Amino acid sequence: MAAPFRPCDHCPKPAVVHNTVIVNGQMTEVHLCEDHAQAAGIQMPGQAPIHQLLGQLAQVGAARPRGPSCPECGHSFHDFKTSGLLGCAACYEAFASTVAPVIERAHGGATEHVGSAPTRADNARQRAALLQQLLRELEQAVSAEQYERAAQLRDKIKDLRPTAAAGGPEAAQ
Amino acid sequence: MSNLPGSDLLNGDRDVVMSCRVRLARNVAGFPFVGRATHPQRREVLETVRAAAGPDEASVGLAGGRVGADAAERLAWIDLTSLPKRDRQLLWERHLVSKQFAEGDSPRAVAVSPDERFSLMVNEEDHVRIQVLRSGNALRNAFDAAMRVDAALGGRLDFAFHPRWGYLTACPTNVGCGIRIGVMVHLRALRVTNEIEKVKRAAKELHLAVRGFHGEGSDATGDWFQISNQRTLGVTEAGLLEEFAGRIVPAVVAYEREARRVLMERQRTLLEDRVFRGISLLRSARLLGLDEAMKQLSSVRLGACVGLLPGVSVDTLTRLTIQLQSAHLRAADPAIETEEEEKAARARTARTALGEWP
Repeated sequence: MAAPFRPCDHCPKPAVVHNTVIVNGQMTEVHLCEDHAQAAGIQMPGQAPIHQLLGQLAQVGAARPRGPSCPECGHSFHDFKTSGLLGCAACYEAFASTVAPVIERAHGGATEHVGSAPTRADNARQRAALLQQLLRELEQAVSAEQYERAAQLRDKIKDLRPTAAAGGPEAAQ
Repeated sequence: MSNLPGSDLLNGDRDVVMSCRVRLARNVAGFPFVGRATHPQRREVLETVRAAAGPDEASVGLAGGRVGADAAERLAWIDLTSLPKRDRQLLWERHLVSKQFAEGDSPRAVAVSPDERFSLMVNEEDHVRIQVLRSGNALRNAFDAAMRVDAALGGRLDFAFHPRWGYLTACPTNVGCGIRIGVMVHLRALRVTNEIEKVKRAAKELHLAVRGFHGEGSDATGDWFQISNQRTLGVTEAGLLEEFAGRIVPAVVAYEREARRVLMERQRTLLEDRVFRGISLLRSARLLGLDEAMKQLSSVRLGACVGLLPGVSVDTLTRLTIQLQSAHLRAADPAIETEEEEKAARARTARTALGEWP
C-alpha cells in the first residue's frame, strides 16, 4: 500500500523523511523531501543507522544552546567540552573563566605569553620591497664579481630578515 | 653504500636523530577557527593564505640567499579534496601532513617545497600550520627557516593574537608561541636494554611529549620516537630552541649512544644475533609485512650505526623506512592490488636496496 502523499515542510515536493522529534519539550513532526533532508545534513535512510538519523533530526530543530555560547561564533561551552577545541578568537574571552585554568595547567602554570608578536603588515611590506631591491643588487654584484659589495649586501639582507634565534640563515646558495 | 660509521654519521647526530621538525600553528584573524568555519569560509581562508604565501620559496620567506626564483623553487599546492586516497596517504607517510589532515574532506590544501623540507597545511586544526623538516639534527636551521616563513606570512596576514595568550589556536594547549619543536630519534639500544620507560618518565617531567613514528596517536613503530615540547606559553621561541637543541637532544643522543656502547661491550653476541638476523631477512624475504620490515630495519640500522655492517648505508636504511610504507609501494607499482602483492613488493624493494641474497 502506498503511503499517502505528504509534501515537504519547505517545498511542494513529496517528503521522504518523516519523523517525530522533541524540540524544546514539544513533540513536532518533521517531513522533508530528499533535497531538504540533505541540506539539513541528514543522510538518506539506508545510508545511516536510524539512531543517527534521529540524532541529526533533533539537532536540526534544537536551537537552544547548551551552556553559555560565544557571542561571536555561537560555539557553545558544551562544544568546547566535547571537542577540546574553541570556535574562534573571541571564544577565549567568552569562556575565559574556564579556559584560563586549562591553559595554565597545560603550560606548567604559565600565565602569560612572552614570545614573539606578529610582524606588522605595513613594516613587513616595506621590508619585503627593500629586500627585493637588495636581492637584485646582490645578483648584479655577484655577476660583476664585486665580492666585497656582495658581502655587504648579504649582511644587509640578513639583518632585514627577522630571525629570532642564533644560528645562520639556511645556507642555500 | 659508503657511510662507514664514525665518518660523517655523527654529523647532525644522524646515528640517532633521523629528522627534526619545527611546526608553527597560526590562525587568520576575522575567521572562525577551522572546526567552526563553514565550507565557504574555509575556502576563503585557503585562498587568502595561498595568496599571502605566493608562488615560490622566496615569496614564502624561504630560499635564504638565492636571488630570483626558478621552476625548481616553486611551491606545489596540493588540493586534498580532489586527491585520491592513496596520494593522501603518501603525503602522510612522508610526514608532510598529519593523518587527520590527510583524511578530511572539507576544503584544505598543502603547499610543499620541491625538496619537501617545507610544507604549509591550510585548514588543518588551525588555519595555518607551517612545518619545516630537516634530516638529522639540524634544529637551529629548521627553526630559522620556520621563523622566516612566519615573518613573511605574518607580514601579509593578520594572525589571531591576544596580548596575554599570544597566538590563538583552536586548541588552548597550543597558545603562546604556537610552536612545536621535535626530533625523530631511533632508540633501538635503549629498547634492548629496557630503558625506554626511563626516557619517557624523564621526558614527562620536562613537559615533553613522546610519540610514535607517525606522531599523535601512533605507536612507536620499530623503536622510532618523536620527542617534542608541550609547553608553548610562558617561554620564548628562542628559549625553547635552546632548551631543546642545547640540552634535551644532546642528552637523548648521549643516552642512546651509551646504551649502544654497553651492548657492544657486554652483550655483543645478542646484538650481533639481532642485527645479522635482520639483514639476512631483509636480503632474502619474499613476502614482508610492514611491521616486520620496520622491526628488522630498526635492528639493521642499529647494526650499521655501531659498525657491525660495513657497506650498509644508514641513509639507505632511512630512505627504506619511508619507501616500504604501503602507499609508497603502491605508488611505485600501481599494479599492486592484493595484500600479498604489496608484501612481495616490499620484500623486493628491501632486497634491491640492500643487496639480494642468495
